[in-house]
Amino acid sequence: MAARALFRLDDVTTTRGHGDDHVHPLSGVTAVVPEGGITVVVGPSGSGKTTLLRLLNRMEEPTGGTVLLDEQPLRSLDVLELRRRVGLLLQVPTPFPGSVLDNLRVGRPGVTEAEAGELLGRVGLPDGFAARDALSLSGGEAQRVCLARALAVGPRVLLLDEPTSALDPDATRAVEGAVRRLVADGLTAVWVCHDQLQARRLADHVIVVHSGEVADQGPADRVFSAPAGERARAFIASAT
Amino acid sequence: MTVLAQAARDVPLPPWWGVGLSLLLVAAAAVVIVRERLGLGRDLVVAVVRAAVQLIAVGALLRVLFERAGLPGSLGWVAGMVLLGGRTAGGRARGLPHAVRTATVALLCAVTATLGLLVGSGVIEDRPQVVVPVGGMIVSASMQGVQIVLTRLRDEVQSARALVEARLALGLPGHRSFAPHVRLALRSALAPAIDQTKIVGLIALPGAMTGLIIAGVPPLDAIRYQIVVMYMWLGAASISGLVAARLTTRELFDEAHRLRPLRSS
Repeated sequence: MAARALFRLDDVTTTRGHGDDHVHPLSGVTAVVPEGGITVVVGPSGSGKTTLLRLLNRMEEPTGGTVLLDEQPLRSLDVLELRRRVGLLLQVPTPFPGSVLDNLRVGRPGVTEAEAGELLGRVGLPDGFAARDALSLSGGEAQRVCLARALAVGPRVLLLDEPTSALDPDATRAVEGAVRRLVADGLTAVWVCHDQLQARRLADHVIVVHSGEVADQGPADRVFSAPAGERARAFIASAT
Repeated sequence: MTVLAQAARDVPLPPWWGVGLSLLLVAAAAVVIVRERLGLGRDLVVAVVRAAVQLIAVGALLRVLFERAGLPGSLGWVAGMVLLGGRTAGGRARGLPHAVRTATVALLCAVTATLGLLVGSGVIEDRPQVVVPVGGMIVSASMQGVQIVLTRLRDEVQSARALVEARLALGLPGHRSFAPHVRLALRSALAPAIDQTKIVGLIALPGAMTGLIIAGVPPLDAIRYQIVVMYMWLGAASISGLVAARLTTRELFDEAHRLRPLRSS
């Protein structure tokens, strides 16, 4: 995997709430997402994985520290352009009312039927799928339509927030396969996941988040075979 | 409005003892409440007393207003209705940022545009006896619309946050990400006004027309006023709804096009 850092989080803290009620979902996080491959963010529920992911397209804003893309602070970039370069797939499929083609045109109104066929093909959906009603699709189909919809605006990075947690095993395999193909074509994926078996299947690089802090990070082989630090060891051991 | 002025001298009003006699109808409501054990006895008494006291007070105030305050006083009265209406409509949408302020501005826009057009073009007179009740109708119609828009938008933020964020994640700005939900809210707000306009006069005689007919105005003259009122209602509900939706959308998104969390109420 290329060692170049695509994203860099430098001593990042996030805050939720105000006054005495505030909490820090992330505290002093320093992490790197390398360019290329699949970086999996793992950790127990409520550890701050999703917050970390949403920092990467400014759906969340740090209250301390800096997030950089290509060594440029995210705040210095146009946020709408950033989101077109850094796509996001949510945990639950979010098809919009209308046809699949209508969905693909939300982010890029000029998508032709031929381009729609090509986009759907990249996520493993058959020709002619563009005419289907988006609200009548199965969970797995809908999630792949959402993936194709994200691809339509031409991202170089895909953020995936537990995108298969609501899907059955067949649909999960289909989504995983689609993302693998996209990564093989040059996209970078950052995949939040709490299922360690899935993490082991997918990861090239791993960031272990625990209690709002990074417990370990590095190449997947090393992190899963020899996790560094007590909390990372305990978390990895919990799945074996 | 010479026909109106002439008719007003001869209005067949119920005498005060007749007003007292109408309390018998309240007794009917009291019987139902007691027999069916609805637990609404206290509310009924409060409502009956409040209605009488409020209307007597409003009648006395309007008398002073009509005789002495002129157009500036009438506009002040309408402004008071706007403030009260904004508080009521905005108060229903707890959780939305600055809902009361948004509702008040929306009502003010609707009143200014609608009343301004009607008075400015000479469709209605600028006498207090006309400006105050017409202003009240505009505030009332707008208030219902604004209330529906605000509560619907709040519900959309709660139930459809993922859909809005999915659009934001595609690089759409906040207002475009929220546009389908704004359309739903505006449809909900305008549908009652449109339905009411469709069936006006068929199910019940509307208020302005009823008042004029009681005052002795021929029905074919009274309907002219009612037609203006219905069209005014549509205009006021549309303007206030749109302004409320636009202002709310601006409040819901921050400068980085993120959907703000609703305040817990």
